[in-house]
Amino acid sequence: MKRRSFLKNTALATAGTIAVPYILPSGRLFAQTGTQLAEHVVYVLFAGGVRHQEAVGQRYLKDSQYAYDPIPENDVEGNIMPNMLVGEEPELKRVYGIDPPEGAGPPGSISVGSVLGNPLQNQGVLFKEMTCGSAGHYIGLSSLISGNYGSTQGLRSKPTQPTIFEYVRRHMGAPATKTWFVGNGIGNSTPLLNYSVDPDYGAQYGANFFAPSVTFGELGIEYLSDAKNYHPDEMLSIYEMKEFLDNSFYTTGGVLPSIGNTDEEKFNIRLFMDYLYEKGPSGVLAGIPGGMVSGDVRNIAYACEVMQWFKPTVTVVNISGVDSCHGNFTNYLRALYRADYGVGYLWNYIQSIPEMAGNTALVLAPECGRNSEPNAITDFNDWFAYDHSDANANRTFAMMAGSGVPNGETIENISPAFSTDTAQCCLTVAELLGIKEEVISAGKVISPHSLFDML
Amino acid sequence: MKKYLIPIIGILLLSCFSACEEYSYVYEVNAADVDAITANKNKLKTTSQYVAVMYVNLFQKPLSANQLYDISRVILSIGDKELAHEILISNFMNEPDVILPSNESMRADIPLFLDDVYERFLIRAPSEAEKEFFIRYIEARPDVTPEMVYFAFALSNEYQFY
Repeated sequence: MKRRSFLKNTALATAGTIAVPYILPSGRLFAQTGTQLAEHVVYVLFAGGVRHQEAVGQRYLKDSQYAYDPIPENDVEGNIMPNMLVGEEPELKRVYGIDPPEGAGPPGSISVGSVLGNPLQNQGVLFKEMTCGSAGHYIGLSSLISGNYGSTQGLRSKPTQPTIFEYVRRHMGAPATKTWFVGNGIGNSTPLLNYSVDPDYGAQYGANFFAPSVTFGELGIEYLSDAKNYHPDEMLSIYEMKEFLDNSFYTTGGVLPSIGNTDEEKFNIRLFMDYLYEKGPSGVLAGIPGGMVSGDVRNIAYACEVMQWFKPTVTVVNISGVDSCHGNFTNYLRALYRADYGVGYLWNYIQSIPEMAGNTALVLAPECGRNSEPNAITDFNDWFAYDHSDANANRTFAMMAGSGVPNGETIENISPAFSTDTAQCCLTVAELLGIKEEVISAGKVISPHSLFDML
Repeated sequence: MKKYLIPIIGILLLSCFSACEEYSYVYEVNAADVDAITANKNKLKTTSQYVAVMYVNLFQKPLSANQLYDISRVILSIGDKELAHEILISNFMNEPDVILPSNESMRADIPLFLDDVYERFLIRAPSEAEKEFFIRYIEARPDVTPEMVYFAFALSNEYQFY
């Protein structure tokens, strides 16, 4: 062998030896640097604006209604989130439960108790005092999902900073069907949160999204449930012709933003949709007491179906029923109770999925709180409603539980050495999945500290 | 030898300069800018526009305003828009009143069929290369139907732009 050939071959072999081990089967170039604490993370955007006092404060009516005309027997306190929090339910003036038979008691007076044997507070860590940098839904949701408030973040627009989905897909090499966002509807910015407009991330790392109330509701059934079933060979021909047309157009028209489901993934999603149309809402909601089915619980039940089918690496579920508090405090209490029930149902359901039981973590936080002072609107109980715009609306909480999370810790107050923002939940999800350093290195989250750093 | 070197270099340089001289030809035809056949399609259709146009292309009648609103909402509820379009088209193809040419008529005159389908969906004539591809593709595959061709055109990226 000539000397030049020898040197060339040696150099190529050396380069290959160095480079090849880092090209992982997942397609990523480098191995993630952190320890993966959980194989799956379910992130609940416990949204809609949850007032701290009725949630982790467990003050029920005491701070909200009768503080203005104090009558001792009206100062009812108690825990109306028995699945998430440790504490006794209120004994008087229950309006949040299910309705008894007519004439047997006031509406909402029957509690269904907890569906979890042990509240999540005992199975994980509760951060009782957190802040959220925004008192509104739009920025609050995008901050939870991106870990950044985005100084130029517009309303009803895609996040300006990368979302947790994009971090997971880019840094873990996860395919599109391993990241899911299950939204409570298509209003506001909800359907836009599955990926950002960040040039380093974006659509190609986006998550799949369903708004089950629409996708599998009346409209979905009417327009999507009667799809013609093509043979895979027929679909292959269609895709081949489409690919030719797209290639012809590529040089001048560009490409559409796509989250990059493969043909196999698309086929799988279609199978899943057919399965759910076949199953119907009654099948999806089977096992949930009729009086406890709310929009939030329905959304969570569909998220459970997504998890059952796809076993995602990260599933984000958005709920928002408590926002009825703008005009009806009683309905707010009912929604909060059902949202808690939904979380309990979700956690139980995860334990019934063999591939997810025991290796799944849950992270949960509201996107904002609610005001200290009520507005002028009263409901049929003469209770005042609450908006979200003052300093109390920045007061909130967060929770994590499950795989990789210590049990039974309650953090009352967090050291001032760390910031205490719920936007840090995004980095917490990243840490659970072992990509914390990659996310910090990207330089797009507001804090390099996750909730774990506050323990 | 040295005494010839300078003249030789001089001759070489001279020939080089003379070769670089530019000539201007005038053919006396009108100047024309040449663009790709799809160059002017640079505006993305909104979901409503896409659905409305596709419905007309498939059913040859307009969609009602209420249906258009509802279908746009359904598409918004699915993250993968390409998949959403695919499922919607699959549903449309199951409707009894969808208007498609027969397989026999397509195969009887494939170039004519292609002219029609390009004009219908992409508002232009096919290039010779495109026509050649599709003629070969359809002739080589007896299972390819007009429905599948329509499906591919309705899903294509170019169809999303105007």
